[in-house]
Amino acid sequence: MRSEEEANRAVEKYADTVRRICIVHLKNHADTEDIFQTVFLKYVLSSVSFENEEHEKAWFIRVTVNACKDLLKSFFRSRTVSLDEIIEKPSEMPKDNREVLEAVLELPEKYRDVVYLYYYEEYTAPEIGRILGKKENTVYTLLKRARKILKDKLGGDEYEA
Amino acid sequence: MKRKIQETFDMIHADEKLKDRTREFLAEAAGSSRGHSAIFRFAPALCLALIILAGFGGWQLYFRPVSVISIDINPSLELDVNRFDRVVDVKEYNEDGEKLSESLEILFLNYEDALEEIMADENVQTYLAGDQVMSIVVTGEDEKKTQTVYSNVEACTRDQENTHCYHADSADLEGAHEAGLSYGKYMAYLELKELDPDIAPEDVQGMTMREIRDRIGQLSGNADLTDIDGSGQESGGHHQENYGGHGAGRGRHHGE
Repeated sequence: MRSEEEANRAVEKYADTVRRICIVHLKNHADTEDIFQTVFLKYVLSSVSFENEEHEKAWFIRVTVNACKDLLKSFFRSRTVSLDEIIEKPSEMPKDNREVLEAVLELPEKYRDVVYLYYYEEYTAPEIGRILGKKENTVYTLLKRARKILKDKLGGDEYEA
Repeated sequence: MKRKIQETFDMIHADEKLKDRTREFLAEAAGSSRGHSAIFRFAPALCLALIILAGFGGWQLYFRPVSVISIDINPSLELDVNRFDRVVDVKEYNEDGEKLSESLEILFLNYEDALEEIMADENVQTYLAGDQVMSIVVTGEDEKKTQTVYSNVEACTRDQENTHCYHADSADLEGAHEAGLSYGKYMAYLELKELDPDIAPEDVQGMTMREIRDRIGQLSGNADLTDIDGSGQESGGHHQENYGGHGAGRGRHHGE
């Protein structure tokens, strides 16, 4: 079991990453809190020793993605709500960013992780494959289709990869 | 697209309240990784498991006690233990027993854990430190199972001073319950009744095991009898015995 100090360090360091993955998957804040507790408790109870920071970050991403998927499968999952309730201060987000976020969140679920990990976390397709347990070619296919959907939805050359 | 997505996700942060609540949750979870809080943490899973059990007719199977652990010091308690070694009922036989039961969260615990909680209770420790005697009697219809429970109970209390473990037949259990006494106290009551036929169950209900044992010792004129309470040569020691069932000599310590 890890110490309170380690737990607090992990919360400080990975809370934003976990929050962003929750946004990608979940539709309400109550579920996000459940995921935070699940993921960080798993970290505290885990005896995994990480080779480096990248390894640790990838562990958090994988555990969070899996926790979100498990929650979505749950019969007792809370209701879904609008984007306004997902993010804390929606009015503070500029219109074009809101549109981008909505477009990403409207993607079929299988595309969302890949888009987030490729565009935001800047993982390569082979790295994404390892984190999500998918074949490299599958990741490329998912990326290609997701890019097309986003381009159609958002329009303009600005959204070329 | 990359720049826009990065810019958008950069605006999303975990707020401080969420981080604080997570830290609080982790601190609580770390503090309650043992003890009764764990029960509340797993309560939903436990409830679901119970519902499923009920659906398959397992309710009766789960809640049917196969062994009874009777604990007497002055608080008198009986723990009903099911075939899965869980405490499925706690019966209190006097006021002190009720107080003790209320202060503990032992329902659905493994009986060894429950026993450890009872032994660690402040009031019980005070009684034991005050040279009182704890009697633990294990009984049940399934002889093999009861023997196993007895062995584990005996092992649990091995290092505890002034504690006596007994293994007894289940036939007298009904008589004990009719008299409104826990099994351990009922056995001591029967022993006392042989020497003092006027004694009634309600007379011994409020007596400590030490007082009953002392009374037996006085009436029998056999000072050695008090040794079973740890006041003789083996004072403070740990004792164990198999009751012969219904015959004379219940509660006598073999080592005397």
